[in-house]
Amino acid sequence: MIDVESVVTGSVWKIEASVGQKLEPGDVIMILESMKMEIPVIAEDGGVLRELRVTEGVPVAEGQVVAVVEE
Amino acid sequence: MSANPQAPGAGAPPEPTGWEPELEELRFRREQSAALGGPEAIQRHHDQGRLTIRERIEGLVDPGSFQEVGRLTGKGAYDGGKLAGVVPAPYVMGLSTIGGRPVAVGGEDFTIRGGTSWSGDRKKGGQGGFVEDLAHEYRIPLVNLIDGAGGSVTSITRRGHSVFPGVHGFEQSVRLMGEVPVVCAVMGTAAGGPAGRAILAHWSVMVKGTSQVFAAGPPVVERSLGQKIHKEDLGGAALAADLAGTIDQVAKDEQECFELIRRYLSYMPQNVWELPPVVRTGDPVDRCEDGLLDIVPRNRRRPYDMRKVVRWIADRDSVFELQPSFGKAVITSLARMNGRVVGIIANNPMVYGGAIDVKGARKQTHFVELCDCFHIPIIFLVDVPGFMVGRDAEAAATLREGMRSVYVSLQATVPMYTVVIRKCYGMAGMGATDKNGLDLKIAWPSAEWGSLPIEGGVAAAFRKEIAAAPDPRAREAEIEASLRADASPFKTAEAFGVEEIIDPRETRPYLCRFIDAAAGRLATTVGPKPKFGVRP
Repeated sequence: MIDVESVVTGSVWKIEASVGQKLEPGDVIMILESMKMEIPVIAEDGGVLRELRVTEGVPVAEGQVVAVVEE
Repeated sequence: MSANPQAPGAGAPPEPTGWEPELEELRFRREQSAALGGPEAIQRHHDQGRLTIRERIEGLVDPGSFQEVGRLTGKGAYDGGKLAGVVPAPYVMGLSTIGGRPVAVGGEDFTIRGGTSWSGDRKKGGQGGFVEDLAHEYRIPLVNLIDGAGGSVTSITRRGHSVFPGVHGFEQSVRLMGEVPVVCAVMGTAAGGPAGRAILAHWSVMVKGTSQVFAAGPPVVERSLGQKIHKEDLGGAALAADLAGTIDQVAKDEQECFELIRRYLSYMPQNVWELPPVVRTGDPVDRCEDGLLDIVPRNRRRPYDMRKVVRWIADRDSVFELQPSFGKAVITSLARMNGRVVGIIANNPMVYGGAIDVKGARKQTHFVELCDCFHIPIIFLVDVPGFMVGRDAEAAATLREGMRSVYVSLQATVPMYTVVIRKCYGMAGMGATDKNGLDLKIAWPSAEWGSLPIEGGVAAAFRKEIAAAPDPRAREAEIEASLRADASPFKTAEAFGVEEIIDPRETRPYLCRFIDAAAGRLATTVGPKPKFGVRP
């Protein structure tokens, strides 16, 4: 299991993937908003999305685990 | 006949006519030195996935180039006046070449008492040791392969007194930072003095899983704070490099560590009195990458891959990113443009939209100083909305650290080139310009600038007007749109407030032209750079 962390402090703007979905390397799991920018959260190595720890609109902190992906 | 023990006689060995006995002793002493801490200690070291200091030096330097100095140092054991064996001094060093150029290299031998210090007439390595004198006197780079435990309280028993901290030598380590490239590789667990020395470097590297660095290790931490913590959690690569930026780079193993050191030094001059080596790569100066044209999305909220921009502009395969895992809002790379070494500072829109946070600022400060010290021109690829904002950022002193990065930029005297890719705002934007030089600023059509981004500034500057409007949000959008039209980069170019707006594909040829032309001027300003004033 890989913990996917937010690299920024901001809020969740849009969730793009759903739990159970197969993700290719580089697929976008969700888009955060920070400093008026859309920052994609990416499944770097791909896998299956096992867990979403946030919902749209909630604030996130840098380093917070926002999703869990199984390799 | 008088009794003369020297006289040849029946049964006595013949008097040597040459120096064979001494050569035999020299050979024996060299064997003892090569044996380090002995086969068992070496096996234990290897079992931990670590190389010995001799293997490390061989792995790092040009094959066969190591000329050791101080091979006979150690503690001899004598049996009735006859040499029985020598425990070598736990430090191996000498002169070598890397990429055909001389370097001073040395490191602790962990297989002998964990590489702890040794009391000879003259220090071999560490602060103020021979290896530092060699780098200083010959003005050649210094590579420290650090694998020593540093001081120990047991020295009180040995000496009969407690040593005052900071005996002579550290001033030499500090002096070297303004004279020659200093590289430190943490090859094991470094605490105290050796850990401090690892930081006194222009660039440092550690090995994932087998090296740790901290002011003090787990036993001291537990005693002082009651914290039980494993050394990997206290000072492994994830903390020391990725989180704290104490060490610049992480190698996956010792072999990669040596490759990284060689690569780093390939961009460096031998000393501050020389310019970095020019290595033509055959990559055409007029190569115009089509990808540059549409890499910046029209939607201003969308980030893009700045590393691609760096790769496409620089000579092919010449980009060497420093501190890639730390302070990710700023990307700092050594690279070549038409063979000449440049430093590239690029904002990363993927992290906080490129806003400079405290880590990014710290990274930029160091990189600007590094480039200025070794006469490496700097290219800024600018997409910076400003310093990071918010309570956390203020609490971390982002403003102070950010202004420090601006301060060093405004003190630096190497040629700098500003390429505005998208946003260039505020003091962070000013820090990306060449105020002591030509101040050449070129921009892509996607560029925008000002003292602060329009969307943030409108709400503050037109607060009353917006509040009084029947539809405040619509009024705010209206004001934004009208300001944005006047903020077109072409209007600033009309006023020569920016020197050029270019097709993004022209970035490489444009920069190469100016970097080539500045080579003669760079040669007139070699030597140490005096620093005045007090950094904020």
